[in-house]
Amino acid sequence: MSAIVASLTPDRRRILFALGAAVLVFAVGDVVHSGFASPSSVKAILVIASFVGYVAAGQTFVILVGGIDLSVPWVLNGAAILFVTTSVGRDDRAIPAVLLTLGLGVLTGLVNGVGIAYLAVPAVVMTLGMNGIMEGLTLGLSKGLTCNSCAAYAPKAVQDVIQKNVFGIPGDLLLWLGIAVLITFVLSATTYGRRVYAIGNNDTAAFLAGINVRLVIVSLYVLSGVFAALGGIVLVAYGGQATLGMGDPYLFQSIAAAVIGGVAILGGRGHYLGTLAGSVTLVALVSVLLAENMPDWGRDVVYGVVILGILLLYGREKQHV
Amino acid sequence: MTTGAVATPAPRYRSRSRLQHLTVQSAPLLLALIILAGMVALYVGLFFRQLSRFPGMFEWTSVVNTSMPLVFTAVGQSVVVLTRGLDLSVGGMMDLTNGFAAVHMHAGAGSMLGWSLVVLLIGAAGGAINGVLVAYARLQPILVTLASLSIYQGLAIKVLPEPGGSIPLGYTNILANPNGPTGLVFVGVIIAFWFIFRRTRFGVGVFAIGNDEEAARAHGTPVRMVKIGAYMVSGVFAACGGLFFAATTTAGDATSGDVFILTSIAAVVLGGISFFGGRGSAIGTVAGAFILTLLTNVLFFANIDPLYQSFFQGLFLVVAVLLGTLIRRVVRLR
Repeated sequence: MSAIVASLTPDRRRILFALGAAVLVFAVGDVVHSGFASPSSVKAILVIASFVGYVAAGQTFVILVGGIDLSVPWVLNGAAILFVTTSVGRDDRAIPAVLLTLGLGVLTGLVNGVGIAYLAVPAVVMTLGMNGIMEGLTLGLSKGLTCNSCAAYAPKAVQDVIQKNVFGIPGDLLLWLGIAVLITFVLSATTYGRRVYAIGNNDTAAFLAGINVRLVIVSLYVLSGVFAALGGIVLVAYGGQATLGMGDPYLFQSIAAAVIGGVAILGGRGHYLGTLAGSVTLVALVSVLLAENMPDWGRDVVYGVVILGILLLYGREKQHV
Repeated sequence: MTTGAVATPAPRYRSRSRLQHLTVQSAPLLLALIILAGMVALYVGLFFRQLSRFPGMFEWTSVVNTSMPLVFTAVGQSVVVLTRGLDLSVGGMMDLTNGFAAVHMHAGAGSMLGWSLVVLLIGAAGGAINGVLVAYARLQPILVTLASLSIYQGLAIKVLPEPGGSIPLGYTNILANPNGPTGLVFVGVIIAFWFIFRRTRFGVGVFAIGNDEEAARAHGTPVRMVKIGAYMVSGVFAACGGLFFAATTTAGDATSGDVFILTSIAAVVLGGISFFGGRGSAIGTVAGAFILTLLTNVLFFANIDPLYQSFFQGLFLVVAVLLGTLIRRVVRLR
């Protein structure tokens, strides 16, 4: 067994570790609370993990080229509110509203990407600014979520797609699975995926090899915006309504999921499968703690400590680099 | 700019190149001061249009007092950014410290002084944790401080679960005197400290690391200690920010510090400090902090819904970086 582990590439080993961590959390949880690893409980936790997983997908894309997207909280929140206010719960408006909302993600990602790739604004500054811009616009245009249509529910059709079971599996999880397969395929088996890793490892070399580095970077931020918007849609489809601040937890969690999954923050290394496992680990861990009646403050502290612990295990840079 | 050009005998040429050198080096700082002047003019103009009089002592005092928490936090952030790092945990540190002060502090010089000291020690300890993790564990600053942000935020809610507590009146009168802009004294102290800091081994080390960490190491800069020091400065200044914030609001709120993550970085960037490290001045950051506070007032007097506030802060942040980049490019072309 250990020989098999040793024969894997470091990247695959990290995915394996992240998956192992998820299984471990479920096992420990089941010892502490019997029934924690029961199918229904696992299903519920996976659904919550999928919300992190969608946002973390976008985050993984930009981290792979050494970037970061701090704008996800309010892109997600703005998208969620745009979705309910344009669809106002009507099924016939569901598809245009979904497209419009994803379009918002495209737009914010495009602005982020152009600022970062073409105007040389540091990613942290650009996306932090974008987060503020989206927060102000969302609050201002929805008048602090007091507008008439702000209390609208997500269209029934969209709620059904996300919540209803197909062959005993919630639609949301099937969507997540589909996205995971798609992303893994794109990153591992397409020239686009190879370009992303090339840029993450050495953008100058990638440029000299004829890759349009700037364009690829813009496309990655667009993807991040789209996935944040998708997260917003799925969240309101699951919970019914939009709230203010609903995106806030997803900044920390999306970055944490990617890091737990072995995606190197400096770029060039990592897979979405790792991030997926990281999302499950993170959410399962929180669920164990919540079942322990851990107060809010304790959860925040544990989050931070867990991330630091994982970083210390394998997030370290090489010495003197 | 080659050394050969400087060594040319004509003294007139030399003085001009020195002046040129100064303008090139301080262009971002000058830009910050120009934006500040424009902001002051805009504020005074809009104020006059609304109330048919100029802002008086009360208004300026309020501007100074509301700026002070950001001034402190952003100056601390500057030192970390100068080392090419980033401190996202300042928000959590302000949550923790302003809540802590509001819970524990009582009237009486001993209590006020003692607890202030404890709060500053908390800031130093929190900063040291960040610094050790960045310098010795070689973790990315953004990840370390994102994690410690979560930890400090959690501890803050533990200390003060709901907004409340109280700050003695005497303390408010010292830090955020409502009767006059005495807060400017603290600004003066910060600037004085900055000039001393730049000439210390620590200060030179901060700039050296930001410019080229490997070269700094090769030249004998104790890189790890300087980095830890930089994060400690940031922690202590964020703790100061928390104290000033508590003094201004006369109570504590364990989530009120979070907005300072965005604004402290915005103030640093507006102040002309390069995000790639090694370039900039805390004087610019102080200007940046005042610009952002005045922006809030300007929006108010321009009858813009305060809900749009973060929109303008975000926009300002991005535009400031773009202007800075543009200026550096123009200057380099010459």
